[in-house]
Amino acid sequence: MSTIRILASDGLPAFLSFLSQKHQRVLVPVVKSANKRSVIFEPWRAGMPVVLEKATVPPKEAVLPQCETLLTYKKSKNQEDLGDITVSLDDTPEALSTAIFACRPCDARGFRVLDRPFLNGLFPDPYYKARRESLTVFTITCSSGCNTCFCHWVGGGPSSPEGSDVLMTKIEEALMLQAISPAGEALLKDCDLPDGRDIFPRAEAARKAAWASLAPAPDLKQAPQKIAALFGNDDFWQSQTSGCLSCGACTYLCPACYCFNITDEGDGFGVHGGRRLRSWDNCMSSLFTHEASGHNPRMLKTPRMRNRVSHKFSTYPENWGTFSCNGCGRCISNCPVSLDIRAIVLAALDNAG
Amino acid sequence: MPVLNSKELRIVGFLCNWCAYGGADTAGVARAGQPTDLRIIRVPCSGRVDPLFVLKALLEGADGVLVSGCHPRDCHYAAGNFYARRRLEVLKRFLPVLGIDDARFEYAWVSASEGQRWQHVVTSFTKRIHAMGPAPHFDDAKPLLRVADMALTALRPLGTAQNAAVNELKQVIKDKLPELNCVIGWQQGYDGAHATPLFMKTPEDVDKLSWGPFNVMNPAVYLPLFKGKKTGVVVKGCDSRSVVELLQENLIKREDVIIFALPCEGTLDIARVNEKLGRYTRINAVAYDEAGVTITADGKEHRFCMNDFAQGKCYGCATPMAVLADTRLGEPHKVNPVSSVPPELAMLDDMALSERMAFWRGQMERCLRCYACRNACPMCVCRDYCVSDSRNPHWMSQDADINQKLFFQTIHALHLSGRCTGCGECQRACPVGIPILALRQQIARAVAQLFDDYKAGLNPAALPPLLGYEAHEKNIHERDWK
Amino acid sequence: MRIGIFICHCGSNIAGTVDCARVAEISTGFPDVVYATDPVYTCAEPGQAAIEAAIHDHRLDGVVVASCSPRMHEPTFRRTVERAGLNRYLFEMANIREHVSWIGKDRDANTNKAAELVKMAVAKLRNNRPLLAKSFEVNKKVLIVGGGVAGIQAALDCADGGVPVILLERESTIGGKMAKLDKTFPTVDCSACILGPKMVDVAQHPNITLYAYSELEDISGYIGNFTVKIRKRATYVNWEKCTGCGACSEKCPSKKTPDTFNELTGVTTAINIPFPQAIPKKAVISAEHCRQLTKGKCGVCAKICPTGAVVYDMQDDVVTEEVGCIIAATGYDLMDWTVYREYGGGQYPDVITSLQYERLLSTSGPTGGHIRRPSDGLEPKHIVFIQCVGSRDKSVGRPYCSGFCCMYTAKQAVLTKDHLPFSQSYVFYMDIRAPGKLYDEFTRRAVEEYGVEYIRGRVSAVYPDGEGAYVVMGVDTLLGRSVEIKADIVVLAVGIEASRGAAALAEKLRISYDNYGFFMESHVKLKPVETNTAGVFLAGVCQGAKDIPASVAQGSATAAKVLALFARDRLENDPQTAQVDTRRCVGCGKCIRCCPFGALKETTIRGEIKADVIETVCQGCGLCTTTCPQGAVQLSHATDNQILAEVNALCRC
Repeated sequence: MSTIRILASDGLPAFLSFLSQKHQRVLVPVVKSANKRSVIFEPWRAGMPVVLEKATVPPKEAVLPQCETLLTYKKSKNQEDLGDITVSLDDTPEALSTAIFACRPCDARGFRVLDRPFLNGLFPDPYYKARRESLTVFTITCSSGCNTCFCHWVGGGPSSPEGSDVLMTKIEEALMLQAISPAGEALLKDCDLPDGRDIFPRAEAARKAAWASLAPAPDLKQAPQKIAALFGNDDFWQSQTSGCLSCGACTYLCPACYCFNITDEGDGFGVHGGRRLRSWDNCMSSLFTHEASGHNPRMLKTPRMRNRVSHKFSTYPENWGTFSCNGCGRCISNCPVSLDIRAIVLAALDNAG
Repeated sequence: MPVLNSKELRIVGFLCNWCAYGGADTAGVARAGQPTDLRIIRVPCSGRVDPLFVLKALLEGADGVLVSGCHPRDCHYAAGNFYARRRLEVLKRFLPVLGIDDARFEYAWVSASEGQRWQHVVTSFTKRIHAMGPAPHFDDAKPLLRVADMALTALRPLGTAQNAAVNELKQVIKDKLPELNCVIGWQQGYDGAHATPLFMKTPEDVDKLSWGPFNVMNPAVYLPLFKGKKTGVVVKGCDSRSVVELLQENLIKREDVIIFALPCEGTLDIARVNEKLGRYTRINAVAYDEAGVTITADGKEHRFCMNDFAQGKCYGCATPMAVLADTRLGEPHKVNPVSSVPPELAMLDDMALSERMAFWRGQMERCLRCYACRNACPMCVCRDYCVSDSRNPHWMSQDADINQKLFFQTIHALHLSGRCTGCGECQRACPVGIPILALRQQIARAVAQLFDDYKAGLNPAALPPLLGYEAHEKNIHERDWK
Repeated sequence: MRIGIFICHCGSNIAGTVDCARVAEISTGFPDVVYATDPVYTCAEPGQAAIEAAIHDHRLDGVVVASCSPRMHEPTFRRTVERAGLNRYLFEMANIREHVSWIGKDRDANTNKAAELVKMAVAKLRNNRPLLAKSFEVNKKVLIVGGGVAGIQAALDCADGGVPVILLERESTIGGKMAKLDKTFPTVDCSACILGPKMVDVAQHPNITLYAYSELEDISGYIGNFTVKIRKRATYVNWEKCTGCGACSEKCPSKKTPDTFNELTGVTTAINIPFPQAIPKKAVISAEHCRQLTKGKCGVCAKICPTGAVVYDMQDDVVTEEVGCIIAATGYDLMDWTVYREYGGGQYPDVITSLQYERLLSTSGPTGGHIRRPSDGLEPKHIVFIQCVGSRDKSVGRPYCSGFCCMYTAKQAVLTKDHLPFSQSYVFYMDIRAPGKLYDEFTRRAVEEYGVEYIRGRVSAVYPDGEGAYVVMGVDTLLGRSVEIKADIVVLAVGIEASRGAAALAEKLRISYDNYGFFMESHVKLKPVETNTAGVFLAGVCQGAKDIPASVAQGSATAAKVLALFARDRLENDPQTAQVDTRRCVGCGKCIRCCPFGALKETTIRGEIKADVIETVCQGCGLCTTTCPQGAVQLSHATDNQILAEVNALCRC
């Protein structure tokens, strides 16, 4: 059996402090008060109040920041011939070793979705790789489902260990920590938390109870083929897209969306030089497919919605054998007009079948 | 280049070629000594000075910005400075809500012959900036979080509109349906506490139409997409103002839109409702009464009184019934016409400038640049060609820093000058709850103060104040440079 | 790009307080700069030759000169780079003289500032694009609005130069204010005698088409290609048939029609010809006073007219003309002097305006040239002239000098003595402004030879003395005492303002005007007859107060401008115009609403409404660019990116 530790609620700051010694940053969920309460992952500092709630924004930024500098460039002139310019590049990946504390199983599974395209093939992404390899994921299991969650439709569940290094389950006021990966093992072995093997059965019970609270999941096995078959069915997609505002709330809040854009800023001279930026991009925006020629194959929002749903439930599974949706439901709960991707998938199953 | 030996501050000038630039030349010819801080950008006309240039400079590190053009009536292009005067004055009244001291920005009229006046303007403005010292920056501010007080009194009784003539309206819509492309309204969304847009094409669709406090979305946002197709839209009072504004701006045509209206009794602040509901798996029942809604979730009852859980905008709403409609069914509650400051704006009003800067720092940090605010805005008609994503013009970079994020909000707010109807969709759409509506509300307040209490979206025939001018502005007075 | 930098010493003008060599050295670190130098005089011939040589030797495709104001030498250097084969817009200037060396003494600060200005210029230049002018044909025909002496002179000069002229006059005769004058200063020539022949020339010139009793209805287009709509007001007389015999006027029973030509000093008939030398000499019926037109019965003139020219049901007619340029010569009107309650505010019949007095002096006037009091028809003995009534008086909102009142007052006083040898004239004045040729001599003659008594001071009140005369109470500031003068007639030298309707015309012409309605010239010193709207020129008092010779000179000056313009068959536009990115444009039309020149219009591209710039009309102000939220309209050479580049160069450091 893997290492199991118990963390009492009053031991949390000490444990986070321990993690901070092992990592350059520890991301924890904190509350941002405003007219709408949101929970955001932020680097932990001593004294910071941590909430063990599902975050509004998934911790994807730990490996794929909203915007990162891929490289900086500096141009220098040959003083004998000012037109002769030497360009020097610095493309060292910026990778802080990071621990994510208290993300949810759907978030942890999100890293797995990102890993496949970024780490596989001929050209693994060095920036992603550097961050991913120095990442430790502490996941807290869910005690129940929620109105917009559907992790169990897509291969996950409230206590799915996939993508996690340590799986934590809340038992009354304490947390049971269970090592999942070798890195998790090493960390838990290294820490001075007491052994928690004796409360493991209680954790198991809590996890089962969480599973039991979920409504039965529909069978999505046919989804990839059925959605692919709908490719040319404009009426179908039109009817599913009418309300869409083409904003990026769904994709930017998705733990499994990884599209990006690259832009250069700065002329390369002076103290600032120039920077090549990689920033999140949004397939629901018209500019996403705006080609240099001016042509745009997805000028309308209908094919864009088709693309997003197809990617998650059809083309990604074709390539990697699993959905690129973890059922976290953020795209549903944060959609300004409450569009529901579950309904689209079900309609697709229904329509083609 | 660093600002020289810290002796100078960074002051940017935008001068029209014909008068102010000439005035600066005249001052030079007369050897009229001036402080060396100012750097002048020559533009053809003060009307070319987009207020966003000023904001850009201030956000990028300028300590002061001075715009100067021809005296009113002397414009080389007849009217450029008249437009500039309105836009720059709105900007001046907007800056403080961000936490930027409006004394850091000034505009002055100087003719080509007024070398002495130019010398005086530059000298006194530079002195003023030096007295204030280097401008504080958003990146340096310590984040401040504060929540607006939502204990408000509404201008009219809020309720759940249970007596609204929904069934009669459905019949009217069914009758009109054959001549319409579709009719936009609301239906129940993924559960009873969330509504989603409804596009009615068949009588069966019409039966799904819902009316009540969950109908938060503004359906006007879809109308420009149906340009040229005769489309119906069901509106709340606030939504109708957006329709009026779209008509005013010629973005939709009156003959292409049929407006159906019922009296609105307020809508729920779904964010606060969700917060109170907490995590739940399913809603068992939603029961309405006159004063509020009772939601049973996972077997537990939660009571939401409209007076406590309405959207901030609803408390100050003076248009519960559509201001323009083809079909109006029912009578709205009487509105007590007292002017009120919206809650988020009131909160900012109570802060010092430095606190406001810290506030926006604390809020904007979590912005994801998803642009839900922009896309939910019925007046954001640039849509796919918003300058936020553009390289030409290249107003913004893709950096996720506070300046870029806040700059976008100022672009949106300034582009809404005299156009924003205060529907609040920008703020409601924000997934991370940034109270950005306050910026639009400040612009709307400035516009109302400057232009005879003008409010956008009330009269389709009105000329938007920022697209017009008066040779003698009643409420804009030239600064005294003495 | 390959950019060359030239930091001008301007002798010691710049080098005195700016380390030019250091600025050039710093400039070499700026992006795309491949060459930098600091010549002593860049604008001099060797300096320009050096730029050309550097463009060739260093294969420059962009040049920055840091020197004096671009308002001074930008055109010079644009030509320089053009000679070397560069597009003239791949050039930028940094103003390090007027804006740096001449206004600051701190050499370090100046050097640093100069380098930053160069940095901004480089940043802008890197965003510049070559711009090419478009050429278009010119319609070699001119419209002149206003048939006073300035308009007449312009018309004759243009016509003599072979240009077809359309002369537009609001009244039924040309001649303007000068036709109302009896004599002119300082020679006391008969006004009608010197103006008359010119008016006849207008009527007879084959190149001149005269539209009298007509107004400018609408105008569109741009320099070289204006389309104007002219409203020919109904005269109720067919001018083709009217011979100007005057029989109608003799028999017209409606004899109480106010005589506007005589400045309301008399009455005339409802159908009339304003004065004997009128051009065109055609009758016009005043619709408000004609019995046939007001009551439907009379018809005397129609019966009497030997050619059957009277047409009671005549309607206004709108005609369209195409012209290449326009001269505005709309003159002036007197300000409303009745605001002077202390002078009776128009209540006393014998307190009259100078222009009314002019009519009393004139042989063609209501009294046949005999000076008689309007109240009782008696000859006056004491005549008081009050100057600056509505001039140089801020209390009535008229701060400016009307220019010619001092002179005509002297003339009227002299003429008064000629007419009435036993009369005594008094003139209340503030200063005597007589700067023209023989002007001062003339005013002296009035005093010395004609015994006119000049009193330096303002008049505080005029009131009837109860015995048919008036008391003029004033102050003599030279003697420092108050004076009271008995007057039989008081003549007010009423200040002028732009003629009624000038502001509306300016808006049609899209030119600027000041608070008093006077049209704005392009440059107060150097472009006094041009406006900022290409192809629109100004002549006479419509631009500001001036006397007859100055008006005539301006009339000729505008003709010279027109002839110079029409010497070319094609014109080139300034390519610094707005451009629409039709993909970005959503067709909201905000730019169209704001454009001060009507240079934007709607167009339909693949079924979608878009904005379109009429490049020849666009004056390059950039208001549209500021107005367009999505940045779809960009003003060439002042695009968002060009200005942002300057802002960034300055602030991101």
